Amino acid sequence: MSWAIEVNNLNVWYGDKHILKDVTFKVPKNIIFAIMGPSGCGKSTLLRAMNRLLDLNPYARVEGQVKINGIDVYSDNIDITWVRRQFGMVFQIPNPFPHLSIYENVALGPKVNGLVKDKSELDRLVKRALEQAYLWDEVKNDLKKPASMLSGGQQQRLCIARALALKPKIILMDEPTANLDPVASSKIEELMLELKEEYTIIIVTHNPQQAARISDYVAFLYMGELIEIGETSMVFTRPKHELTEKYVVGRMG
Amino acid sequence: MNKRKIIEKLMLGVISTLAVISAIPIFAIMFNVYAEGLKHVNLSFLIDLPPPPVGDRVGGIGPALVGTFTLVSLAMVIGGAIGFFTGLYLSEFSHTKLSQYTQMFLQIMVEFPTIIIGLFAYTILVAPIKRFNALAGGFALSIVIIPYIALNVREAYKSIPYTLKEAAFSLGVSAPVAYLRILLSTARRGVLTALLIGMAKVAGETAPLLFTILGTTFTYFGGLDQPINAIPLLIYNFALSPYERWHQVAWGAAAVLLTIILLIFIVSRLIVKEVKL
Amino acid sequence: MSSGKIFYNTLTFLVFISLFIVIAVVISLSVTSYPIFLRDGLFFISKSVWNPVKEEYGILPALLGTLITSTLAVGLATPLAISLAVFSAEIVPPRFRALINNISDLMASLPSVIYGLWGLFILAPILNEYIMIPLHRYLGFIPLFSTKPVPTNLFTASVLLAIMIVPFASSIIREAYSAIPYYLKEAAYSIGLTRWEVIKIAIGYVKSAIFAGLFLALGRAMGETVAVAMVVGNIFNLPKSLFDMGYTIPSLIANQFPNAEAYNYMVPALYGGALMLFLIGLVINFFGLYLIKKVMIKS
Repeated sequence: MSWAIEVNNLNVWYGDKHILKDVTFKVPKNIIFAIMGPSGCGKSTLLRAMNRLLDLNPYARVEGQVKINGIDVYSDNIDITWVRRQFGMVFQIPNPFPHLSIYENVALGPKVNGLVKDKSELDRLVKRALEQAYLWDEVKNDLKKPASMLSGGQQQRLCIARALALKPKIILMDEPTANLDPVASSKIEELMLELKEEYTIIIVTHNPQQAARISDYVAFLYMGELIEIGETSMVFTRPKHELTEKYVVGRMG
Repeated sequence: MNKRKIIEKLMLGVISTLAVISAIPIFAIMFNVYAEGLKHVNLSFLIDLPPPPVGDRVGGIGPALVGTFTLVSLAMVIGGAIGFFTGLYLSEFSHTKLSQYTQMFLQIMVEFPTIIIGLFAYTILVAPIKRFNALAGGFALSIVIIPYIALNVREAYKSIPYTLKEAAFSLGVSAPVAYLRILLSTARRGVLTALLIGMAKVAGETAPLLFTILGTTFTYFGGLDQPINAIPLLIYNFALSPYERWHQVAWGAAAVLLTIILLIFIVSRLIVKEVKL
Repeated sequence: MSSGKIFYNTLTFLVFISLFIVIAVVISLSVTSYPIFLRDGLFFISKSVWNPVKEEYGILPALLGTLITSTLAVGLATPLAISLAVFSAEIVPPRFRALINNISDLMASLPSVIYGLWGLFILAPILNEYIMIPLHRYLGFIPLFSTKPVPTNLFTASVLLAIMIVPFASSIIREAYSAIPYYLKEAAYSIGLTRWEVIKIAIGYVKSAIFAGLFLALGRAMGETVAVAMVVGNIFNLPKSLFDMGYTIPSLIANQFPNAEAYNYMVPALYGGALMLFLIGLVINFFGLYLIKKVMIKS
């Protein structure tokens, strides 16, 4: 079986603080992989360690391996921009570039990375990404309008389209529904189930119900340590670890 | 009405009066400058050479206008670039010792008396070649705006939400593309305002030019290694001269300079407004 | 090398240039002025003499002129700057607030040569006619007003400086004042205080910012060159009254430097003056910045 991503003995420190401790797991392709845990457990850090967004934090130090297609993203001489292009990332707060139009938000990534030859190819790519994100019908007449005019849920789907336009292999989602209302949230969840046909999705959530609803595999992270990992149905019905059990029934954090 | 109410009314009146008094000079200055200056300003005033101190020839401020344009361009290219990139570094790599020291030094330097910078430019670029020159003036003005632009560009980049920075880098772009293409356009209002206000500042600076450019009166532009004039320096020299005719030219030049400053100021305010939408 | 690395190195290089320039300015001041301190020691600042022919330089009058004009300017500006800030943040109806602030900011960005021109031809004669001559006539027995006034002197320079620094100091105060948490004012009103009493409390709350603004303004006033040079009189003698014509260090440099190269020690003397100005300004600005930091931490 080939894996979408393999994480081996990953350790992360912020200064002296040990944030992630010897985390090891593998993610199969074309599934939704949820990382759940109480806030502060290191799950957002884990996500950012995968696409090396952690490099932006000058105080972060990483040891261990993260492999995509057998290539360690932390090996010497690797092109960090290439690493990041293998992932599309969606953030906790919908963060479209507020001064850019809806079209430009999606087109920016392919444009600056030189992924398209001409305007018509770009147009097609933008349209396809917006369609995949279930947003095209709602915005097709407003492509020139600023992204800031969209609702929160629409903005988040725009961010998903922005990530998809890069044609990534893996989509990283950092609590993508934490700031949305229930209706907008369920739309995003629906969309994720659709997207896993083509992509591998790794989602971070502090909401065990969400992990149970949408994920195929789930990992439970607690205070920087990977406590348990397995098929979602198994983890939620027959957790191996006491901490996991406490967490999934809602008696913790 | 009790005593406290009377005191309240009284003190609010005093504050308002003092506030109005402190705003009177700006209106007086604008009124006087335009009343005394505008009557001399026309197209030939902007183009011609300055008049001789006595006689009927009206003359103009052509060389000074060319000079100010040259010097401001030099300052924006040299000082604007160094200041911009310094500010970017101060914001994005603020954890380094270099960043912390530089920021402290620049904060001190932004309040430096600019005449000191004039002396410095004289030592570096005038004394060695024994000739006043445009480059020395441009250099001095660059030093004047480096700290100003750096500190304001730093603010502009600092004001970008961290999540947008993450979004930019998650697109898999290199640092120059992220900072100079994607995030610069996010911070463009702050950066543009910094550059514009910096421009207004150097357009009106006189002290750094006193010992650097000499202030020619009879040539427009002879090269960057030659003396040159500037509007503020011309106003200073002509106002302190004993000739009535030159005083008039100084007022006319002041009207031109004030207009330039006002235009830059208004544009910078419109930019800020545009953001708030 | 990756483009990220090249980019970072370029940035670092340009930052070093910025840092280097600041240090180079200080070094150039020190090195060039060194001979005068070596020859005269502290007499250079405690003597009052400017005799290029005999190569005698003592900048006490200019030093005093700088201190007198800048402190008097700050004294005059203080009530105005505070009032302008309070007026804009508290009293004026909100829809006029932006207008007031824009006017104030515009004033702060006017070139000093325009202030100088206006000060020389408009302000100086008015001050002379309506303030200085009456003060001298009726209060001339007070040493401060004892000199028979001429339009350009230390007093005129002080007033012009005050006008120039009001908007600058006021904008610093205004920023701190607007940042006062609303609940504090609510609390004050809720116990039945009048508006003026609330303003008094608020002013006390932003005391540090007021001092910061005034200190930074003092630094600016000391370093101001052309506006002062145009109205201060430019006469080298020890001031005995506010109505004496005088010099400040920047105006002394502005006037004397053009012929300084003809003498052996005048260049070091003027650089020495600049160094003194720099050091005094450094202390003042450090203090001002320290106060601002304190305000920012508080809010």
